[in-house]
Amino acid sequence: MRFSSDTGGTFTDLIVEHDSGELRMYKAPTTADDPVRGLLDALALAAGDHGEDVAAFIGRADMLIHGTTHAINAIITGRTARTALLTTAGHPDILVLREGGRTEPFDFTVAYPEPYVPRALTFEVPERVAAGGVVRRPLEEAGAVAIIEQLRAKEVQAVAVCLLWSILNPDHELRVGALLDEHLPGVPYTLSHRLNPVLREYRRASAAAIDASLKPLMAAYLGSLTQRLDEAGFRGRTLVLTSSGGMLDAAEVAAAPIHVINSGPSMAPIAGRRYAGLDGASANAIVADTGGTTFDVSLVRRGRIPLTKETWIGQPFRGHMTGFPSIDIKSVGAGGGSIAWVDDGGVLHVGPQSAGAAPGPACYAAGGTRATLTDACVVLGIVDPAYFLGGAMKLDIDAAREAVRVDVGEPLGLPTDDAAAAIVQVVTENMVQAIEDITVNQGIDPADSVLIGGGGAAGLNAAAIARRLGCPSVVIPEVGAALSAAGALMTDLSMEHHSTFFTTTEAFDLTAANAVLDDLSRRCRAFVDGPGRGSVSHTIDRVVEARYAHQVWELDLPLHVERFASATDVDGLVDDFHRLHEEIFAIRDPASPIELVGWKATVRCRLADRELGRLRAVDSSQQRSGTRRLYLAGTGAVDAAVHRFEAMDVGTVHAGPAIVESPFTTVVAEPGCRFHRTANGSLVLDVSAQAREVIR
Amino acid sequence: MTLDGAQLAILANRFEGISRKMGNTLLRTGRSGVLNRAKDFSCCIVTRDCELLAAAESLPIHVLSGPDLMARAMQQFHPRLAAGDAFLHNSPYHGCSHPADHTILMPVIDDGVHHFTVLAKAHQADIGNSIPTTYHGTARDVYEEGALIFPAVKVQHGYEIVDDVVRMCQMRIRVPEQWYGDFLAMLGAARIGEREILSLGRELGWDRLHAFTEQWFDYSEGRMLAAIRKVPGGHATALSVHDPIPGTPADGVRVHAEVRVDPAAGYVDVDLRDNPDSMECGLNMSEACARTAASIGVFNSIDHTVPKNAGAFRRLRVHLREGCVVGIPRHPTSCSVATTNVADRITSAVQRAMSELGPGVGMAEVGCVLPPSTAVVSGVDPRTGKAFVNQLFLGATGGAGSPTQDCWLTMLHAGNGGMCYIDSVELDEVYQPIEIRSRHLVPDSEGAGQHRGAPSLFVEYAPVGCSIEVGFVVDGHINAPLGARGGLAAHGSEQHRRKASGELVPLPQSAQVRIDEGESIVCITCGGGGYGDPTERDPALVRHDVAEGIVTAARAASIYGVDIDGSTPVTTRRNG
Repeated sequence: MRFSSDTGGTFTDLIVEHDSGELRMYKAPTTADDPVRGLLDALALAAGDHGEDVAAFIGRADMLIHGTTHAINAIITGRTARTALLTTAGHPDILVLREGGRTEPFDFTVAYPEPYVPRALTFEVPERVAAGGVVRRPLEEAGAVAIIEQLRAKEVQAVAVCLLWSILNPDHELRVGALLDEHLPGVPYTLSHRLNPVLREYRRASAAAIDASLKPLMAAYLGSLTQRLDEAGFRGRTLVLTSSGGMLDAAEVAAAPIHVINSGPSMAPIAGRRYAGLDGASANAIVADTGGTTFDVSLVRRGRIPLTKETWIGQPFRGHMTGFPSIDIKSVGAGGGSIAWVDDGGVLHVGPQSAGAAPGPACYAAGGTRATLTDACVVLGIVDPAYFLGGAMKLDIDAAREAVRVDVGEPLGLPTDDAAAAIVQVVTENMVQAIEDITVNQGIDPADSVLIGGGGAAGLNAAAIARRLGCPSVVIPEVGAALSAAGALMTDLSMEHHSTFFTTTEAFDLTAANAVLDDLSRRCRAFVDGPGRGSVSHTIDRVVEARYAHQVWELDLPLHVERFASATDVDGLVDDFHRLHEEIFAIRDPASPIELVGWKATVRCRLADRELGRLRAVDSSQQRSGTRRLYLAGTGAVDAAVHRFEAMDVGTVHAGPAIVESPFTTVVAEPGCRFHRTANGSLVLDVSAQAREVIR
Repeated sequence: MTLDGAQLAILANRFEGISRKMGNTLLRTGRSGVLNRAKDFSCCIVTRDCELLAAAESLPIHVLSGPDLMARAMQQFHPRLAAGDAFLHNSPYHGCSHPADHTILMPVIDDGVHHFTVLAKAHQADIGNSIPTTYHGTARDVYEEGALIFPAVKVQHGYEIVDDVVRMCQMRIRVPEQWYGDFLAMLGAARIGEREILSLGRELGWDRLHAFTEQWFDYSEGRMLAAIRKVPGGHATALSVHDPIPGTPADGVRVHAEVRVDPAAGYVDVDLRDNPDSMECGLNMSEACARTAASIGVFNSIDHTVPKNAGAFRRLRVHLREGCVVGIPRHPTSCSVATTNVADRITSAVQRAMSELGPGVGMAEVGCVLPPSTAVVSGVDPRTGKAFVNQLFLGATGGAGSPTQDCWLTMLHAGNGGMCYIDSVELDEVYQPIEIRSRHLVPDSEGAGQHRGAPSLFVEYAPVGCSIEVGFVVDGHINAPLGARGGLAAHGSEQHRRKASGELVPLPQSAQVRIDEGESIVCITCGGGGYGDPTERDPALVRHDVAEGIVTAARAASIYGVDIDGSTPVTTRRNG
């Protein structure tokens, strides 16, 4: 038996996977002050549902996979360690200047961000390695030791070291590390070339600083997690989800906690990829995860999930870029709690302000009075006020109508129903724009992709989003409401290894390239023999970061060989690059040499040898069906059939207007949309036949 | 056809999305560092009437005015536009900002009818000037400047490239394959914009899109009106002076801006006519830059949420004079450096004049450009034997204090709004045979104020294994960036050659210099002016600046009146 848990902003999701393959899904409120308690609550809920003693139930499991927001929350709330940065002499302002850039050139109300490590805790190490790796100024050890003495005096709790060109010659960083061991024992540190061996010093420095600052806190958190699980009777292996879509043992995460910045959300595309293949027959997917406050979009391109190093904590250019490889996720403030408002010029906006879980939408009748997306959905009949969260919470439809009327209907001169429909349309367009931002950067054509809807609020407008994007179909997996926790059960123990080595197809250095690839293979095999010991199987994917001459933004080009046997293999790489560049950017430049900059190998060790199973069948007596009045933009009021998600037959094709409900989600099928349930339990909506009329 | 507030929001979002999509494509496919490392480019959409509609995430100086003028020139020179046409435009005499900003204009034509025009504009690494720089400060005229000028010249016909023009460029522009890569990237970005608008028009109907643009302009005009009514009415003038260089009067370029805000009528007027005639140097404004620089000063000073498009511009009148250094240039006046130096002086004068109207309005002077940290460097790379030319973006701070916040540190200059990226030291050392010795903030160089300006940046770099040529046009050495409403001036600029002996020799402000191996170039960039009286600054912020090494304890006492460590304040605080 395996447990998979994902701690979200509102709920802690838990999926229990039995050895038979059967899945059961639970949600307990997230306890932000002590997130482990939320997890234990969810486990107690599951034990109760199984009619077992908690300790005995937990004791039967052999693995717990954990997604955590603890690291990112610590950064956002400023609870990380007092961290120092050691840089090359002459370059103390790497974290101050960053890489420049801004989003709103006329907005002077937003402060310039403080550096991740203050200047007061930044120290210049007397040394310099030049481009190419030659030592220009030898490391002055006495100077380095004097700096370490200052670190002690300033009671620094963690240290990041980022020296220029350490990726080509790590000697100075390694020596500073040894001096820290000697003169400041017990204080954790991170060396930039080890953690994140990429060109561009800001990205290395930022990653190293973030990583070091999390070490004391995450070591304590993961120690407490394993200890309390142990006390609760757990005897299995504890794994933590990583930002790049894999998982690592808790102890490894404590040693490099930056890996778990996006733990959890990174699993949505893992799950999305599987359902796109099973139920959408597509190797390209747009995975949209809609929660209460945020809308997260990720992608699958030809079966691969694109990564990025440009992940921001907070808003782009106003927060901190991690510089560390992570699944490319675009996140916007749009969800059930997003607030609708009309500006003084009479234009409707939805978000980015959110009513959150407290006071929540007006219909929660918990103090919130402003109109939200959830209120609009209640007005339109999309959400049944008597059956929210499976009936666990009754909603106040009158409060929803009043909020929508006052906040949107009156200012726009629209009847309340139309005002509610307008709110949904504006949100839909905001979500579409978020999707288009990421698809254009990753070169994905929505018309050639399936849209995967995850998160509790996905179904409200997934079909409308797909229609607007030109996606032919939408897949709502039965585990969609806990997509990340489901993805966690499909992912592997994994680690990415990276080397910087520059060559070009004009003068390709075959021997040196093979030496780099051989070294990466060796490091991958060491992982298989170490943390991966006992795994069912493993794979190694190799990628080269490549670009045309003079470009600076590389593309991840999959390598189809373990090493280059001959020039023919290199020709294959050249062809692959031109094709990839054209696929992503619509142009190719066959005359241009190709520069190869970074080399990566990702090793994945499969820990379980079965495919994800199905949710436990439900008692059909719980079925709640019939019809409900639904108000839709363009169509007006219609009587929509109401289907119970879990009770739908496999294969029977239905036509909209209809609503499909489960305790965790509501899916709208508009008129003209056809939908059916698949043998894998997913709901598939076919929107291809519909007119692409978005604005009434 | 009347669209409601939701429909307006959705279509505005879609047009902004298209211009963003063009920009993302250009960033990822460009070849020169100025384009893909620094993001010195803009993409936008104008209506069939040549009015600016959407310019998401563009550089302000590139787009507020210019796209409109360029689209008009395109229509004037090519009255019969066809699908598949594209035009190259860089003529400052026909609406472009300056010759280095090559612009692709592409009409969006459905069934023979012209509906919109999309533009992709990118600062080039080289444009074939007489010297290897895109900023020829001392050029007496366009002939000495030497740029190839393209007044809306057709470069694509029936979706095919017109090779004649490409061959001309390849014979004149340095490192031609780099230019050609950027040219392809710009065509690709514009083509994406064209395709997206075509599919939008076919989806929703062109009538609806044209109805939208009119109503969106009306909405934006209304928002502008509301913003103007929040500003105290009145009339103010301010002077901002560009340092002298060869070709200017001995006291530099004195830029007067007269600003009149009439909340009742709902207009802002900026008058730049009372200024000197065009000069025999490269600092003259193009019409696009004169209009835009004045507009930036206004928009920096009011509610920032007003959409920047032709609707809002109806309430902003910029008065220019032909043949004026900050007006409309007559050929062959050189506008080589039009987007930066004197343009920033216009913006600074306008926003300082605005600040005179009352508290909570306007902004201090943003730091001046173009220091050697943003020079165009060229030479032959000894590692490859190949020629190189590119603009460095090693950083310039320059952000000014505003009514609500301290500076945005990495502004670079006023026209850019902080949108450009800053080069990585490691990347610059890979792409050019140079070593960046040092790059750090300079203590006590900020423009002090209740909201302070940026400190200066110190940058030093040296050639490795060769000599390099370095071109720059620096302002702000004599006339350092001024504060507003009692805020103080910032540290000005300096540049030096460090000789092999270690001796520092000052360099001229507008120069093309050769730096030999063993030497290095040293520069201190301008800080930004402060806003409001420094003695009214929150003492906690002063203490933070001292802890962070931005301000010394002595300056905290003398300028801010805050006692940090027993040093006696020599100025009396008005607050706290």
